[in-house]
Amino acid sequence: MHLLPRHFVFIGLFLLIGITMALDIDVDVKVSPYTKQMHAYIDSIPEGSTVIMSFDHEASSLPEIRPIALAMLRHAFSKNIKLIGVSLYPEGTLIGYRLMNNIGKEYNKTYGDDFVYLGFRPQYIAAILSMGESIEKTFPQDYLGYQYNAIPMLTSITNYDDINCVISIADGSLTTHWIEYGGQFDIKILGAVTAAMVTTYDPYLSSNQMTAMIGGLRGAAEYEKLFGMKGGGARGMLAQSAAHLYVIFLIVLGNIFYFRSRKKGAKN
Amino acid sequence: MNRQIPLVVCFSFGLMMFLQYFSTHTVARSLNLAILDYWQIIFAFTLILGVVSYIKVNMTKISRGIDRPYLIVGLIGMISMPIMALIWGIKADSPFMWMFENVQAPMASTVFALLAFFVASASFRGFRARSTQASILLGAALIILLSRSNLPIPYAENLSEFADWIRNYPSMTARRAILIGIGLGSLTTSLRVLLGIERTWLGGEN
Amino acid sequence: MSTIIIAQAFISTDRTGVFIISIIAILIVLYTTYFRNNKKPFTIRKINGLQAVEDAIGRATEMARPLLYTPGWGGDIQRPTTIASMNILSFVAEKTAQYDCDLVFPTHDPVIMSVAQEVVKESYSRTGYPDRYKEDNISYVSSSQFGYAAAVDGIISRTKPASIFLLGTFEAESLILAETGNSINAIQIAGTDSTIQLSFFIVACDYTLIGEELFAASGYLSGNKSILASVQAQDMMKVAIGLFVVIATIWATVESLSGNPLSNWWNF
Repeated sequence: MHLLPRHFVFIGLFLLIGITMALDIDVDVKVSPYTKQMHAYIDSIPEGSTVIMSFDHEASSLPEIRPIALAMLRHAFSKNIKLIGVSLYPEGTLIGYRLMNNIGKEYNKTYGDDFVYLGFRPQYIAAILSMGESIEKTFPQDYLGYQYNAIPMLTSITNYDDINCVISIADGSLTTHWIEYGGQFDIKILGAVTAAMVTTYDPYLSSNQMTAMIGGLRGAAEYEKLFGMKGGGARGMLAQSAAHLYVIFLIVLGNIFYFRSRKKGAKN
Repeated sequence: MNRQIPLVVCFSFGLMMFLQYFSTHTVARSLNLAILDYWQIIFAFTLILGVVSYIKVNMTKISRGIDRPYLIVGLIGMISMPIMALIWGIKADSPFMWMFENVQAPMASTVFALLAFFVASASFRGFRARSTQASILLGAALIILLSRSNLPIPYAENLSEFADWIRNYPSMTARRAILIGIGLGSLTTSLRVLLGIERTWLGGEN
Repeated sequence: MSTIIIAQAFISTDRTGVFIISIIAILIVLYTTYFRNNKKPFTIRKINGLQAVEDAIGRATEMARPLLYTPGWGGDIQRPTTIASMNILSFVAEKTAQYDCDLVFPTHDPVIMSVAQEVVKESYSRTGYPDRYKEDNISYVSSSQFGYAAAVDGIISRTKPASIFLLGTFEAESLILAETGNSINAIQIAGTDSTIQLSFFIVACDYTLIGEELFAASGYLSGNKSILASVQAQDMMKVAIGLFVVIATIWATVESLSGNPLSNWWNF
């Protein structure tokens, strides 16, 4: 690191991201099979089916998570899928409610009939297992304080047996808990995760323990393309591509320094 | 005796949870639900433990003059947020929400964003072709990065397919092997705890 | 007759396969722990990361700087990885007590904090230096992921520990902590069960315990025969899984080549 001070690496990245974000140029992305699989699954859910959307993230990852969540919410509402919002992280609770409520309004959906937000439950493993037994016992009231059995769309929902799938929007490993513990109840698990977590879920996806997955800003951009909208995913693509190239440049530079110093060492 | 009671509780509940997993009987299901409820209730109490400890430790350090400005800011944040929530609630236009959206979220995002800078510095320092294995790793990293960067380069399609192959076969094979090892490690550690072979979690000797 | 009906209802036939495999696994662990370890001495291969533990503690003592130990943000006390981490903490605390080196332990979970206080206190008492134990050094910092990362980063930057132990379940905070540790030239020993974070640790830390090595650590460090024997059980099960995979692969290959419909006896 002494050949190129850390600060220069950081300043270079900061300038690059700042400039590319300011440019607001669209980059055309090729849609990956993973995103196609997710889009196709949501598309295949019959109208009127109920899906649980779990906001399993914190405020920190919002720039990456928000575009994914928005694209998926728009797709679900446009297909007239009924949504139950939950959160297994306290910080995700408010964010999830706002996102769901705003997009619900955009599609003229009624709270309680078309979507409902149950809020947060501590101890995610216990909450996932408990919902498998009874969602009402896990969430006796929704986020706004309405009794479970007073909410029209929940009257026919007892547990996972009445749910089509769970979409876990996560910035960490919480989707793993949905797979490991929710999977016991034979419920389909879909993951919308940050780019850094994508490879963690690959084994679960290939073994069909997970039904579909999209990852990161690129996944959001691909999903937006399939859904036919322009959102935060597409806008961030130029900056992300530039950052990838910058890292490649640093790796190459690091190796040039390494081989030069090795040569010098051999000469000495 | 101090150690025996927790060990007996641990073994009994472990055995009970193991057996209920294989049963669909109503007694087993309601027992499971009751235990899960208590688990969540206990968790809520542990938060009180955290808050008390946080205040105690920080007050002690403040009185000693260690890192005073940081600790005062931390304490103000911890006390003011619940007070705001209690007085004005947590609705959209409440001061709590304002603080959450304009202070908490940007600060957390800032720390998360540090990751990008550290990935850059770690790549520069760590990805060196020191040996054959390191060179293969380096090559794979470059292919994956190039394939994800949307560059109008020749053979971009093939590169992308090759990157997916790396991700789905060699990389996944290694991850699966590690996961199996972790699964077995978790299993034996859990059994050691349940059977009382491993007692370090009680503060005691093995 | 009624007893038979009750007995039948208690067992779900859906999970018979899992039940049988669980019982076999338990029997293997019991066999190696209680019977086999009395007959044959069992040693495990050299694990560099664990060999370096004493050197790292020695370095901190010589430099008169503290040693920082943190179990990551991703786990809670019921997670086996956290328990494994507590086992290593017990050994590390014994050494820091003997060498009179400050041990700093920040965590995100109040229960982990209490257990760690108990573990460290016991270790200090066991070695005969209870007066050297400082309860304030083992503290809860924040439950928020990046609040925790910022707090630990702050502690690292201000106290400049000579050695850092990152052992437990880590998520996105792993590289932030490891790179900060690297920037102050601390010797770093890391270990986690999060596969994606392993790659970050391998790049940024001096030693990394990969997955199961973390679970074997307490036996390795303490030399406890029963714990070492359970590691042997792990190996036996690994061989069994390997054989199962090979047989199932050959079976499926032969079936698909012969044009017969695929069996599914390996699904349970």
